Amino acid sequence: MSETRNIVEVRDVSKVYKRDAFEVTVLEHVTLDILSGEFVALMGPSGSGKTTLLNMIAAIDHPTSGEMRVNGSNVFALDDAEAARWRNENIGYIFQTFNLIPVLTAFENVELPLLLTRLSASERKEHVMTALSMVGLGDRVHHLPKQLSGGQEQRVAIARALVTDPNLLLADEPTGDLDTKSATDVLEILKRLNEESGKTVIMVTHDPHAASYAHVTRHLEKGELLPL
Amino acid sequence: MTLSLFITKSALRNKRRTLLTMLGVAVSLGLLTLMMSVWKGFYLDTGSAESAQRVITRHKVSLTNFLPSYYRERIRTITGVVAVVPNSWFGGTYKDDKSGNFFAQFFTDAVEWPKVYPEYRIDPDELRAWQRDRAGAIVDDALATQYGWKVGQKIILKRNIYPVDPELTIRGIYHPPEASKTMYFHTEYVEEAVSWAKGQPGTFSIMCASPEAVTQVSQAVDDMFKNAPAPTKTESEKAFTLGFINMLGNVKVFILGIGGAVVFATLLVSANTMAMAIRERTREVAVLKILGFQRFTILALFVGEAMLQCIIGGLFGILPATLMTAIVSSMGGFFAGIKMTPGLFAVAVGVAAFIGFISAIVPSYNASKLAIVDGLRHIG
Ligand SMILES: Nc1ncnc2c1ncn2[C@@H]1O[C@H](COP(=O)(O)OP(=O)(O)OP(=O)(O)O)[C@@H](O)[C@H]1O
Ligand SMILES: [Mg+2]
Repeated sequence: MSETRNIVEVRDVSKVYKRDAFEVTVLEHVTLDILSGEFVALMGPSGSGKTTLLNMIAAIDHPTSGEMRVNGSNVFALDDAEAARWRNENIGYIFQTFNLIPVLTAFENVELPLLLTRLSASERKEHVMTALSMVGLGDRVHHLPKQLSGGQEQRVAIARALVTDPNLLLADEPTGDLDTKSATDVLEILKRLNEESGKTVIMVTHDPHAASYAHVTRHLEKGELLPL
Repeated sequence: MTLSLFITKSALRNKRRTLLTMLGVAVSLGLLTLMMSVWKGFYLDTGSAESAQRVITRHKVSLTNFLPSYYRERIRTITGVVAVVPNSWFGGTYKDDKSGNFFAQFFTDAVEWPKVYPEYRIDPDELRAWQRDRAGAIVDDALATQYGWKVGQKIILKRNIYPVDPELTIRGIYHPPEASKTMYFHTEYVEEAVSWAKGQPGTFSIMCASPEAVTQVSQAVDDMFKNAPAPTKTESEKAFTLGFINMLGNVKVFILGIGGAVVFATLLVSANTMAMAIRERTREVAVLKILGFQRFTILALFVGEAMLQCIIGGLFGILPATLMTAIVSSMGGFFAGIKMTPGLFAVAVGVAAFIGFISAIVPSYNASKLAIVDGLRHIG
């Protein structure tokens, strides 16, 4: 029974890049459990493999060896199309650089993942407005990304990540490009989503202040996960 | 929002580039449309059923050599020949030498003429009036409309080949299936005024019993005069007209060359634009995939974007070109057949879509199978 409470189970995962004669080991026998409903911070020096690990959890990247279950699925066994569908339903991904589509308004950016669902236009609108009001942007719906501040852009990106109501939010240095005030706003939102909506949050960060929002902080060092 | 709105917004991302691409496609498809309608008019149209049954006999050496008029009665004896009239090019000018005032004038035998041109509808009273008046003429409706001519009106043609300035009265207006902008008057009028023109028609127009008889009749006519002082060349009306056109050079190769080159050049330009546009969005592709977009959807988004651009650009060329063909076609004569049809329109739009598809398919495919991790690392 205790197994089902783990939303992420990483088992002995290694990742090695081979370049000519050189081998670069990015992750080395990483084993990690993350409880459903947890807020985990992942820290470590640049190049330690944080993004690589996060991408594997999102079924974006594949390991050289090891196994992983995320939200009950054996993610490494998914093919391209299955992985895409699975991400749409299970994962909300937040980037350091926001990655909004520049030609789409805030509303349309948030609506984008819903275009892949069976929801009607009016249902989509309802979901989008709910997501945007959860990040405090209900009044900015028809602005283009370039008409928004960095903090607002990141809030739109969070709304986009949560609009399909996934269990798991993955954030790769979500405050890395933001000023202190906006960073705090974003962290507060993530904390609220974790506490009030029960989302599991895994956040990569360099910033100890950001990490203080998490229940647990894990450290990666040269591809190895340091013990708690 | 829908995926098609997303495609539209993406296409308008770089407005100047999109507009320039669309302009390029517009120009090339406009040209292609013109070329295709010329091709169709010259080479594909077989004309009316009656036209397919008509053959023209001319001097084997050239159109400027005349034929003896007694050939007419000899031709009549060939089986499969229904009617035969002499038909001579007068080549006069009306008012002045401006090209807009140019139209074809033939002198012929008014009595038998309706049997050779049965599809040219004319009021029986007007026909009889023309046949009775040696200084009478008939013109087709397009010509009458152009000059505002009415039945009973007098007009004067100026001499060119034959030393006479015919003063003619319009006795009737006929209605051919396609504007011909042609005037017919009497052989007698020219022969009475010009003694050397007597018994020397330029060509004979022959109506055959059936389209199948055409080959046999043509062969029989040419065989009949093979060893005569004036050997003949007999061919279908369509081939005869094409002979005129080919005097301009190898029109077929010219049209194919221009059409092909234009489409190919546009393809290259469009392919380059699409490759750039897609490369710029490498990172965006990775983000779409993370959001759950599948390969095929991404491929369809990009290809759809390119096709949309090319079809809209194409329409901006095809529509003005259609208008131009309508103007050219109304000039009549050789040009009457140069017309847009729904079929040609569909082909032109299809070519535009094809250009979009081909120019986008390779970069779109590459983008669609890009690994997300590589896409995310892409700078730019
Ligand atoms: N395609 C690749 N080929 C070779 N090496 C790679 C490739 N992708 C990543 N790496 C290497 O893997 C290591 C870990 O990369 P990763 O992006 O996971 O680090 P990170 O901890 O997220 O660093 P940062 O804090 O700078 O974002 C780096 O040394 C990187 O150079
Ligand atoms: Mg990283």
